[in-house]
Amino acid sequence: MAIDRRDFLKRSSMAAALAASGASLINAGFFASPAYAGSSKAINFLSAENLTGNWDPSSHTTLGQINFEGFVFGYLTRAPMRPENPDELVMELAESMELLDEHTLQFKLKKGVTFHNGEPFTAADVKATFEYASGPDRPAQWYPGRVTVDVIDDHTANVNTKAHGYPASLFWFLSAFLPIMSAKDVANPATLAERPNGTGAFKFVRQDGNTSVLEANPDFVLGAPKVPGVNFTFVGDATTRMLSLLSGEADIIERLEAEQVETIKSKEGFSLNKAVSVENKYLWFRCSKPPFNDYRLRRAVCHSIDRDIILEVLGVSGTPSNAWISPVKFGYVDTPNYPKYDPDMAQKFLADAGFPGGKGLPKLEYITSVGFYPKTKEYGEVITAMLQEQGFDIEFSAMEIAAWADRLYDRPGGGPGHMIDCGWATGSPEPDLVLRTHFHSSSKRICGIEDAELDAVLDKERNATDPAVRKKVIQEELMPMLAEKTPALSLFTSVFIHAYRDELKGMYIYPNGMMDAVNATNEA
Amino acid sequence: MYLLNFLVRRLFQGVIVLLIVTFAIFTLLRVVPGDPVRLIVGGMAPDEVVAQKAEELGLNDPIPVQFARYLGNILQGDLGNSFLRPKSGATVGAAAHDDPTRADRAEVLDLILERIPLTLQLAALAIVFALIISFPLGIAAGLNPGKWQDRLAFFAGSVFVSIPSFWLGVVLALLLSVQWGILPSIGYKGFEYTILPAFVLAIEMSPFIIRTLSVSIAQVMQEEFISVAPLRGLRRTRIVAAHAIRNASIPLLNLFGIQLGVLLGGVLVIELIFDYPGLGRLTINAVLQRDFPVIQGVAVFIAGLFVFINIAVDLAASFIDPRLEY
Repeated sequence: MAIDRRDFLKRSSMAAALAASGASLINAGFFASPAYAGSSKAINFLSAENLTGNWDPSSHTTLGQINFEGFVFGYLTRAPMRPENPDELVMELAESMELLDEHTLQFKLKKGVTFHNGEPFTAADVKATFEYASGPDRPAQWYPGRVTVDVIDDHTANVNTKAHGYPASLFWFLSAFLPIMSAKDVANPATLAERPNGTGAFKFVRQDGNTSVLEANPDFVLGAPKVPGVNFTFVGDATTRMLSLLSGEADIIERLEAEQVETIKSKEGFSLNKAVSVENKYLWFRCSKPPFNDYRLRRAVCHSIDRDIILEVLGVSGTPSNAWISPVKFGYVDTPNYPKYDPDMAQKFLADAGFPGGKGLPKLEYITSVGFYPKTKEYGEVITAMLQEQGFDIEFSAMEIAAWADRLYDRPGGGPGHMIDCGWATGSPEPDLVLRTHFHSSSKRICGIEDAELDAVLDKERNATDPAVRKKVIQEELMPMLAEKTPALSLFTSVFIHAYRDELKGMYIYPNGMMDAVNATNEA
Repeated sequence: MYLLNFLVRRLFQGVIVLLIVTFAIFTLLRVVPGDPVRLIVGGMAPDEVVAQKAEELGLNDPIPVQFARYLGNILQGDLGNSFLRPKSGATVGAAAHDDPTRADRAEVLDLILERIPLTLQLAALAIVFALIISFPLGIAAGLNPGKWQDRLAFFAGSVFVSIPSFWLGVVLALLLSVQWGILPSIGYKGFEYTILPAFVLAIEMSPFIIRTLSVSIAQVMQEEFISVAPLRGLRRTRIVAAHAIRNASIPLLNLFGIQLGVLLGGVLVIELIFDYPGLGRLTINAVLQRDFPVIQGVAVFIAGLFVFINIAVDLAASFIDPRLEY
């Protein structure tokens, strides 16, 4: 084919224009990434759970946001909960703490600490935080009850529980789990909700769609972080999180499924962090409305479920346990009368409750989430089949995480559905963060149980001043009573699995999923 | 005069279509399960708070009354506020009913306008890719009916139409982004993140364009004015480029108007797979969270876009072939 001069000029100018338009759009840096050998870049973390849209730490119990707070807020202490030393506390905002008497726990605070907005941190901030967040109206019921804080001087705060009738020692481990807010923010809850302002290792810069952009706080009390920042992004789909990690978009991801663990193991350049967590996964019964206001029906469900099969379905993401708290929590015991799989017992309880063989029972909705906890849909279907085998008529609803979260909690008249799947993970060995939060009638977050006997034994263990006595009450009275009344069935203890690029080093992951990135490096 | 007449007529028809679509979506969202007030006030709110909020929002009024109010707001450019998303636009969940920031929800129009440029970029690139893939195959097939070029186009079209886009997306991301590291695809940090999702969308669209183009060109090539063109001294390339393709482009333009629906449907899935922060991901999340104002807003917006583009397509077709009347 002959090309004349006019054709040549026309075609070459078109090609040049096309190339120029493309070049201006494509980031050349991607195709020829400069090698910043040895330098650290911001950590891209993909969270499996979304945030709540309210930055007040006392406004929610969302694990994704608790993990976020671990970066931004300061804590009096931190509890690494290492298996070899589970009771260890590392001082963060506190310099020391001392139990002065049964009702007084004294914190000496570090000097020269400032909040991200420049305000100095003092005992007044501890007072404001504790007294505000322990209010009975706060959605996050982490506190054992109301508390008073006496400000001795700018850097000494006495946690005083005398007027509230329980021992101050409960705040020993809790000090590692209560984010400290600024007194000025607490005075204005709207400000508190608008933006997070802590003393933590990373400052909140902006919200970029689903990404919360954090930058290193050079004045952090335990030393400036080595990475310039953390990008905390919500990605609800497990496959997308995995693809992001493998393609280098993410540095660390959480909540891996069993087959994803195998993929990571087979790939070079990635590592896994597996740890028995503080989280148990529960099947919560809506105890404040029929039919599960009758403990016999709850027992019938418990005896219908073969937990060994659930663990088989779950694979590496779960480990067996026989209590309503994780084995890494204070007071764990293999409860002797823990409800076991026993179809005969299930039938007996069904008949006792007036529904022999399940006849006459209404359709029961069992709600679970997909995308956050591993294998919920898969083992939910197994549980549904087991219950149907015993005569229960079950409607299984697997929901996207945000829709599920909006149905999670108890409300007057009973929460949505009849049973709901949820885990509970709190970054402290303190067992009441689970037990009291869920089974005391002053809180009853999900199951909605109101039971005077349970309240009495929960108060008894809380009020025990001697840790050995308290442990005994939990193990010998509370756990057996929960096994009788079963406001929830603990299915297993979660094994938290994070996957990360090998270039990300020095990151510490707490057993509740919170992360310490102060000493982390992340080579580009 | 014809143009003015055409525009007035088509705009009037468009408004009717939009009204029907809006009413259908508005009504459907109010009869499907899921209590929007419960979403607004949060899971832990007592029933009295739910009832009070429903009254405040006018959700106890008959649907036609609510719809009239909604239309009035749309005319003032107000698509309402998201039930769940704060001003920052992040996906959220599980807050409490007494949350003081619950009132500070993002405006639906802002959420759409923030995301539409990325979706338009994705859609435009997908169309460019689809044309790049389809034109050589479709034209060659149209010019050589029954020969290997025709069979190749048929085979390619059959393969493309059989591949599920979500599967292709994951496989291409695994190969190109993970295995070979030559193209990023998950999330969005720059234009290059649009290439792979756009390519997957283009594969979904191409079979229809290839088929329409090949059939249309084959038909035009049988026309008398094409047969006599060599006698006028025209070269074959000019006959094909200036006469055959031009005449064959009218069915293609009409197809483009219809394909827009396929494209917007595809965007929903593709954006979710690639975590692409456009209108598709916003819509999917809104559907999963039962965020009704956002679903309504996006649906009305997309319906408006669809109607507008189809008017533009008809207008363009009538310019190409003045014999056409719509």
